Amino acid sequence: MLRWFEENGRESDVVISSRVRLARNIRDYNFSLKLTDDDARKMVNDLTAEIGKLEAVKDYSSYDFARLDDYQKMAMKECHVISDFLLGQKVAAGFVSKEEDVSIMLNEEDHIRIQAYASGMNMEKAFELADKTDDAIEQAVSYAYDEKYGYLTTCPSNVGTGMRASYMLHLPALSSNNRISGLAAEVGRFGLVMRGVYGDSSRSYGDIYQLSNQITLGISEKEIIDNLSHIANQIISQERALRRQYVINRKLSALDAVYRSYGVLRYARKMSLKDAMLLLSQVRLGLAQGLVMTDSETEFCVYQLMIGIQTANLALMNENELSEEELEEYRAKFIRDNLPVIR
Amino acid sequence: MLCENCYQNEATFHYTEVINGVMTEHHLCSSCASKMGLSGFGDSLGGNFPFVKLLTGLFAASNRAGEEADNPMLHVKCPKCGMNYQEFIRVGKFGCAECYDVFGPLIEDNMKKLQGSIEHKGKRHLDKSESADNENKNETASKSVSGKAAEKKSKSKTDILDEIAVLNAKLKEAIELEEYEDAARYRDEIKALKEGGRDA
Ligand SMILES: [Zn+2]
Ligand SMILES: [Zn+2]
Repeated sequence: MLRWFEENGRESDVVISSRVRLARNIRDYNFSLKLTDDDARKMVNDLTAEIGKLEAVKDYSSYDFARLDDYQKMAMKECHVISDFLLGQKVAAGFVSKEEDVSIMLNEEDHIRIQAYASGMNMEKAFELADKTDDAIEQAVSYAYDEKYGYLTTCPSNVGTGMRASYMLHLPALSSNNRISGLAAEVGRFGLVMRGVYGDSSRSYGDIYQLSNQITLGISEKEIIDNLSHIANQIISQERALRRQYVINRKLSALDAVYRSYGVLRYARKMSLKDAMLLLSQVRLGLAQGLVMTDSETEFCVYQLMIGIQTANLALMNENELSEEELEEYRAKFIRDNLPVIR
Repeated sequence: MLCENCYQNEATFHYTEVINGVMTEHHLCSSCASKMGLSGFGDSLGGNFPFVKLLTGLFAASNRAGEEADNPMLHVKCPKCGMNYQEFIRVGKFGCAECYDVFGPLIEDNMKKLQGSIEHKGKRHLDKSESADNENKNETASKSVSGKAAEKKSKSKTDILDEIAVLNAKLKEAIELEEYEDAARYRDEIKALKEGGRDA
């Protein structure tokens, strides 16, 4: 079965994925801020044992940071299996479903973070996966829960439902029209937040953005999803309108941009991450708008290449540490080997 | 759009802050955002940034508190994890479940402004041991409770919750009036009620 980042789901021209994260703590231990390394170890061992017994995670694989090197951990982060925060933890462990769509992180900012992904626009599925996992874990442990505040979390920004729902969106047209800043400010009024997924300083690489809810208290899980999806739909139609304009009014330029990007990806011998993301974004746009096509019957999912060219994934594939130049060389080769022929 | 802090880089970090019902938009570059401790790119659970200023009011109070060493608030401390008042207002995060009883009432107003509410709505955690107890009690008590899972509480438990709410209000008031001895008493009463409620 394909993993979520290997297939295109609903509204995949714009929406790459839907994700739900639930923050949970168990009653018996201090929260991460006040948890000593020894207690963290004990807590992680307890939870690994308890959760490991559950029928729901029978087919999951488990990991423990004690047995992973830095590259393996980083690669898990690049594949969205674990979070940035978990990556920074000394003591951590977790469970991952076979298709890598469900991940249970232990000793994150909260004791337990349940995460579920679905391809394309399908928050209902992501929520169902996360919720079912939560139900199963609830059978095994006593959560820190309060009748008034709901699920208690380290940070007051997560208390209540403990839920963060996010859509990962590909917005090349909005970002080339400099509409992202305005949009990001606007979604804030609806209790949402939008930010770049990749990149470091001035601009998001690959035009990939994440739209999430900020409010977690006094609002039900369903309301969170409805609000978020409502705004996401508006962003999707804005992006589509701009794409249509661009493709109709400037067809030759649009085609030229896609083919040039494809040409460089196809033949380059060295590739920086930034360039690769930029060029892949163009190809993704071209495929989504039907400007170009692959030979294959099934739609090609460009996002899997975007994951594959990240630093730790390349290093792991080549089984050793790479110099900056080798990294760029292997990145270019990885793209040549995995990018389908486009016409 | 340029960063509102350095006026040099393109602003990539945007958020809306709501303080006293007034919304202010902020636009920062990623380096200023990270300098201010706002999380930049990346995919942590995210969305924590407006809460950096969650305790703005309390921050001011903490500066004043620092000046007067005899401020009784300095002695407020979570009995379970040891989090103290100063640390709490510095990090704006809870150290354990009990911290919510100790520090929760202090930030209710801010929490309400930012989250829009301070009453949880949504999925409820049914602790196995607890719900089993309640069901036994309910057999003799009211059987007429509506079918909603949310109503699965016995009457006595609801009363305790009301009482806790009242005490919380008193606690907050006491803190505002700087009657710290009263505050400590209310806090202990709340704690006792909660623990009693749990075993009941
Ligand atoms: Zn700046
Ligand atoms: Zn505490």
